[in-house]
Amino acid sequence: MKRGRWACSERYAALMSGLATGLVAMLLGLTSAMAMAQGPAHAQVIVTDSAQAPAADDPRWREQPLAHDLPGQGAWYRVRFDAPLSAPGDGPTMLYLPYFYGGGRILLNGVLAAEVPHTTTSLRVRWERPMLLPLPAAALRPQGNELLIQAHAEHQGTGTVLPRLAVGAQGDLQPLFERRLFFVRTLPVLTWVAGSVVGLLVLFIWLQRREEVLYGLFGLAALLWAQRTSTFVLESLPAGAWDLWRSVYHLCTGGFVVVMALFVLNLAGRSRRGLTRGLIAYAALGPLLFVVLGEGAAASVWTAGLALVGLGSVAVAVWAAWRQRTAETLAIAAAVVLSVLAGVHDQWVATRSPLLMRWAPDWSDHRLFLLHHAANVLLLVMGVLLALRFVRSLNAVELANRTLEARVRQREQEIEAGYRRIAVLQREQAATDERQRIMRDLHDGLGSQLFTSLSRAERGAMDSSAMADTLRGAIDQMRVAIEALASEEQDFDAAFGNFRFRWDARLREAGLAPRWDIALPDGNGASPLAPHDALQLLHIIQEALTNVLKHARASAVVVRVGVQDAMLVVDIEDNGEGPQAATPPGDAPGAPPSGGRGLANMRNRAQRLGGQLQWHVLAPGTRVSLRAPWPVPSTTAPAHS
Amino acid sequence: MTDHRPVGVLIVEDEPEFLRRFSEAVLGDAQLRLLGAASTGKAGLALLDAQPPDVLLVDLGLPDLSGIELIRHAARHHPDCDTLVVTMFADDAHVIGSIEAGATGYLLKDASAARIAAAIHEVHEGGSPISPSIARRVLARFRGGVAAPDAPAPPSEPSPLSERETELLRLIAKGFSFEAVAEVLCISPHTVVTHVKNIYKKLAVHSRGEAVHEARQMGLL
Repeated sequence: MKRGRWACSERYAALMSGLATGLVAMLLGLTSAMAMAQGPAHAQVIVTDSAQAPAADDPRWREQPLAHDLPGQGAWYRVRFDAPLSAPGDGPTMLYLPYFYGGGRILLNGVLAAEVPHTTTSLRVRWERPMLLPLPAAALRPQGNELLIQAHAEHQGTGTVLPRLAVGAQGDLQPLFERRLFFVRTLPVLTWVAGSVVGLLVLFIWLQRREEVLYGLFGLAALLWAQRTSTFVLESLPAGAWDLWRSVYHLCTGGFVVVMALFVLNLAGRSRRGLTRGLIAYAALGPLLFVVLGEGAAASVWTAGLALVGLGSVAVAVWAAWRQRTAETLAIAAAVVLSVLAGVHDQWVATRSPLLMRWAPDWSDHRLFLLHHAANVLLLVMGVLLALRFVRSLNAVELANRTLEARVRQREQEIEAGYRRIAVLQREQAATDERQRIMRDLHDGLGSQLFTSLSRAERGAMDSSAMADTLRGAIDQMRVAIEALASEEQDFDAAFGNFRFRWDARLREAGLAPRWDIALPDGNGASPLAPHDALQLLHIIQEALTNVLKHARASAVVVRVGVQDAMLVVDIEDNGEGPQAATPPGDAPGAPPSGGRGLANMRNRAQRLGGQLQWHVLAPGTRVSLRAPWPVPSTTAPAHS
Repeated sequence: MTDHRPVGVLIVEDEPEFLRRFSEAVLGDAQLRLLGAASTGKAGLALLDAQPPDVLLVDLGLPDLSGIELIRHAARHHPDCDTLVVTMFADDAHVIGSIEAGATGYLLKDASAARIAAAIHEVHEGGSPISPSIARRVLARFRGGVAAPDAPAPPSEPSPLSERETELLRLIAKGFSFEAVAEVLCISPHTVVTHVKNIYKKLAVHSRGEAVHEARQMGLL
């Protein structure tokens, strides 16, 4: 056997083994139900519908083997036996009748032992269940007992039928009776109830999810089959209801066949709209025919068509199983074929087919019908398939959910990484901007000062003290730059601390009394001034202090840094000879030639802070005042250059 | 100070211009005596051992060996010798390493001759120059924890600095001069100097203790 796709799946292996187990159990059960106590193999019969028991010496008594059947007529049977016939067992002596379709009366030695309802003008009877009847002990004789049985013709059945009956102890007969009762009556009752419940439930599911056509078909099939099975459950009905019920029976059978065909087509992937509509129309035709033509004709014509539909389903199922080799199609094909075989078997049993009589006369006598069991297996297979599909789709949904969640997580991580990258880029950009500002500052300030000085020195325009002054100025500029930029925290407080420490010592050495009045609001942990802004500020203060040292001849200097009314307020105030520091240094004798540019630089730096610089002449002394908006605009919103 | 014996100075500096500048500053002060001037670390080491000076002036960027080694050698073998490390900007990361190695202070390269001589005298007389960046680094090194004696729950490794020393370092870090610090803390400037010296000692001890601990961890001891 080729290994198909289905062979790999554990779940399908479980399905197949479950199916096989069900079949084996059914066969075992049926085989055991077949076992029969030894009983009289012959009876004498008089064919008559008369309710009066024929006389013992009636010349019409004829010997016949059991089981015996007659088309369409009632009969009297006479069976003679010695009690007990079978090996002695427990309990009273009983009569076991595996079936007694038409109903009737049973007399032992002339005493009425039992009466089963039979078809009359007002009642329709088809007695399915086996019977285990106690024989009245008073009437029982050790030898030469005589059973008289009036058997009625079963309504619309194949005729009068008397099975091989058995007389024996209850202990021997009870198990036989109960086994047959289970298969012939209990299972159909279960099928009726369970099929109805499951069918309605699945149809309800289908109503919520119309696109799951297989669910709808399965629900319908289960419901139809359950109603059809009622034929084995309802044994007697009022005459009026009987015909209606029979019609329902046929319609359910037909509907089931059509629904099965649709199911098989759907499963095989061969569902076509036209075909579906045609099949549904044919199913709907049934009731119409029943109304117009009556049961007999309608049943024969319509059912013939249904047989074709059924055979078509078998062909499609087998073809699909052959082509697809999936567990689903194989299981359905097997179940459908099984049902068809069971149906053929039942037909043979019902019509007492000579073929069956010759091959298996005992089995034939049992008249056990298999189709409703096979159909149960078929429904079971369908149900299991759908359950598996349901589980599979749930798994698929879960997998999809997991995949989706994983993807969402991945996207989130990517987005987060993107944000991080952007933040890094922004920081890098900010650092680059900062570097460029500082480079420009070095270039414009220190660089140009050094180049100018070099040029002047080369043409001999600088004496050594002027040169030393220039170089000191350059070193001071570098110091400020390093203080503003190199402190680890890039913190204005740190930068200003270094600056103040350095200048405090220098001013004291020069004999000035410095005072520092520093009150900048802290920036909530952040530096209140960006490094390049701090650089501008320190440059301005340094330039002012240098001028005080060089020119003011002052004895005290006050440096004030603070914020008032959203303005940065910086004052450098000395008590020296006022105007010198404020006037262009060229006017003052001995002033360094670069001094003029020093003042211009201070103004430029003030502008870079967005502020203005002013010189106030005091008496005595000078005050250099810087006023700039606070917070400094470039600090809060760095301009990208 | 009644001690009139001139202060012996050894200079180790590879830059000839500065070697000359420092030498001239020492020679120009009658109270200082130049014991030697070396332009390489090895020569400096030999001079240091041959005639231990009172004050060692050492540049860190020597061609043959690190100035830190020279400082460590002096601190270990000549504990009476005070070491001044020569630096350009006093915020050099090496200054703190030098102090940990045993240096007592620093000297700016562009200091005037008078300032150089004064610094040598100061350090010899027990002074210890400190800059805001050094103060900030010391604070960071001991990571803030204040070892108050009545602190209910001291951190796992309490700072060796006293509360007063920490406060002093904070003021210096803000740029306060010794005088200003003395004013704020209501102590004499001389006491400020003593505090700084103690802080330096703690730093050197702490750093040495750390080195020993680490060496143990690494299985070297």
